[in-house]
Amino acid sequence: MASHAQTADDSDDDMDGFMERFKKEKYSNAFSEDNWEEEFNKVPMFMKTAPEDIDPLKHPELAAIQSIIHDDDRPLGEQAQSLKDEGNEYFKERNYKKAIVSYTAGLQKKCSDCNVNAVLHTNRAAAHFHLGNMRSALNDAVAAKKFKPDHLKALIRGATCCLELKKYTDALQWCEEGLKLQPTDKKLLELRAAADKHKRVAERDARKAKVQEKKERSEREALLAAIKERGVKLRMPPPRPKRQSESEDGGYEGASKALAGLDLDGLCSTEATGARVFLGEQGIIYWPVLFLYPEHQQTDFISAFSESSSFLDHLSHMFGEELPPWDTDRKYSFKNLQVFFEDEERESLHQVNPETTLLKTLQHKRYFVKAGTPSFIILVKGSPFCKKFFSERKTYLL
Amino acid sequence: MLSDVTAEELMSFLNLDTRPDIKGQATEYILGLSGNRDGCRFLQTKPDLIKALVTLTTDPSIAIVKDCYHTLINLSADETMHRLLVKNPDFLPMLFKNILDPGYMFADRICTILTNLSRHMKTCKEVFKAMQEQGISLAQIVEIFCTEDYNKQASLHYLGPLLSNLTQLPETRQFILDKDRCVVQRLLPYTQYEASTIRRGGVIGTLRNCCFDHVHHEWLLGEAVDILPFLLLPLAGPEELSEEENEGLPVDLQYLPEDKKREEDPDIRKMLIETLILLTATKVGRQILKTKNVYAIMREFHNWEKEPHVVAACEKLIQALIGDEPEPGMENLLEVEIPNDVEVKLKDMEAKELEQLEKDKEDLLNPDKAQHCAGIVRMM
Repeated sequence: MASHAQTADDSDDDMDGFMERFKKEKYSNAFSEDNWEEEFNKVPMFMKTAPEDIDPLKHPELAAIQSIIHDDDRPLGEQAQSLKDEGNEYFKERNYKKAIVSYTAGLQKKCSDCNVNAVLHTNRAAAHFHLGNMRSALNDAVAAKKFKPDHLKALIRGATCCLELKKYTDALQWCEEGLKLQPTDKKLLELRAAADKHKRVAERDARKAKVQEKKERSEREALLAAIKERGVKLRMPPPRPKRQSESEDGGYEGASKALAGLDLDGLCSTEATGARVFLGEQGIIYWPVLFLYPEHQQTDFISAFSESSSFLDHLSHMFGEELPPWDTDRKYSFKNLQVFFEDEERESLHQVNPETTLLKTLQHKRYFVKAGTPSFIILVKGSPFCKKFFSERKTYLL
Repeated sequence: MLSDVTAEELMSFLNLDTRPDIKGQATEYILGLSGNRDGCRFLQTKPDLIKALVTLTTDPSIAIVKDCYHTLINLSADETMHRLLVKNPDFLPMLFKNILDPGYMFADRICTILTNLSRHMKTCKEVFKAMQEQGISLAQIVEIFCTEDYNKQASLHYLGPLLSNLTQLPETRQFILDKDRCVVQRLLPYTQYEASTIRRGGVIGTLRNCCFDHVHHEWLLGEAVDILPFLLLPLAGPEELSEEENEGLPVDLQYLPEDKKREEDPDIRKMLIETLILLTATKVGRQILKTKNVYAIMREFHNWEKEPHVVAACEKLIQALIGDEPEPGMENLLEVEIPNDVEVKLKDMEAKELEQLEKDKEDLLNPDKAQHCAGIVRMM
């Protein structure tokens, strides 16, 4: 509150000062009783007669008004032409944005000269083209053609834009129209050849993609059929942790969703390596498989684990001569290792005979493959961690 | 047979002022005459009757105009009538004037007549000359041909065979093969024009005739025209080729769908193969066809084809594709002059092949013995 009071005080002081000075000083340049009529006569609103010759220095306001009036008297076509020329100057200087402004102003005159309008649109199209605005350029080419259907430059511009926009059929159409007018025009012949070539390549690419897609679909279907034939159960990745398996509920209606999930699941470890389950020669399925070592919070990833291979086949290589560096106790020799899989729904462990094949394990009635990637827990037989791990969950031993 | 007196009586009915019912009976009677050889012989001796028919194509009655055109089509299908028809000073000009009219109801009849009249070299020249005298250019004919729905009432398909027949003339081939224009390129897509066998056949005949001018082979097979895919596509089927074979083909033939169908007309299939054979007559042509993997397409085609005369042509083409190169100086089979001492060195196959090519060329350029011109149409 004090600050406000201070402000008020300051204002009052300033005003007082002003009033004091005002009393002492005479207002300068005021109309005097002697010359007020003469001065009034110079203001356009009050002047009694307009002078014959307007001197811009003596009567600047009147000169401005006259200029406005006279501009309005110029034919619209002429104004549009001037703006076109102005735009062309900017175009030469490569100032395409200003060129567009000028051409636009010219078009806004809406003069009746179709030729001028066609040229304005065509030139604006060229400016847009150089700025990389292909759609705007094409729109202008279309508008130019409406004003003057035989404007060759507009047809060439339209064809060029369609080519840039990969509208090859339309580009060919523009070329045909142009070549009808000028059958030997070199630029149009080049554009037509280019559009034709690109169109055919694009069509080939579409056919190839279709063939590829069909091939992939049939491979996927063959893979699903093989999985189904083996009685392996697939499970969708867990945004629905408590829900029963999709595959289990709807037979294999959910199977294609599950495999579709293979591609879509960003959390799946296959995302990193790109490995995924596939059907190999002689109809053997190869799975990407995760080995988990909870004692050391480590994992191993086997990108192509043949269903006909056993766990021992892999473990004897992985934990043979050379043990991993994280095995500080040097106890992860393959002879000491035990293999388990987890039944998440029942929160239980199932032990697997290492000499069993992957396929036989996957066919276990409680095994569900998640995200197309079987995973297994590896523990050291009789180790303290192993005992503790068992005590925390129900375990089905061999 | 008809007497001269009867002919005079008919003649008196064939003018624009005659009562429509009487005129109609007269034109119907003459149409019947034109449907058989004896009738044509008779009409050949009565140029005035033909003149009257030409006049009556402007009759207000559509039925009468139709009868007149049908008669003229039948007459134009008979080679012995050609000279008489062409000599009529009003006939060809009338035809060409109306063919350009986008609303003319009988434009298809006119195309048929012109196709028939241009089948043989002598009258073909007359047709071409009349066309020029009417101020109609080949560019206009091609433009009309390539403009879909140019005439809402007429398909103008027979412009294809007409164009093919006109390519007997060097002027026409020169126009179509003009490097400064875009003419042959516009015709190429019609090799697969599904809606009309006539149009397809006409364009393919045109292309085949142009390929006799071997100096153009390199240009036709190059990027500027790229004729090869348009000849091969109608011969390519749904068979699956290996990845390697696919990538070696022209892009238009790569990864064709399972529902791809081949050209259904055996004569057109044969014409396509003959065109390809012509392209193998030059060294550059052979090299390009081999590089572009034409053999893979023809191998599958050969397995599929059933018509003996098409199979024979196909085997000839395959032989050219997988055979050895000719001796130096003999690369252009269409240009080779065969000295007597060299002739005995040629293998039987090569000699027969060359002989056949020369015969094909002769048949085309002296078409009194023409075998492949299209468009004889007889209507009753």
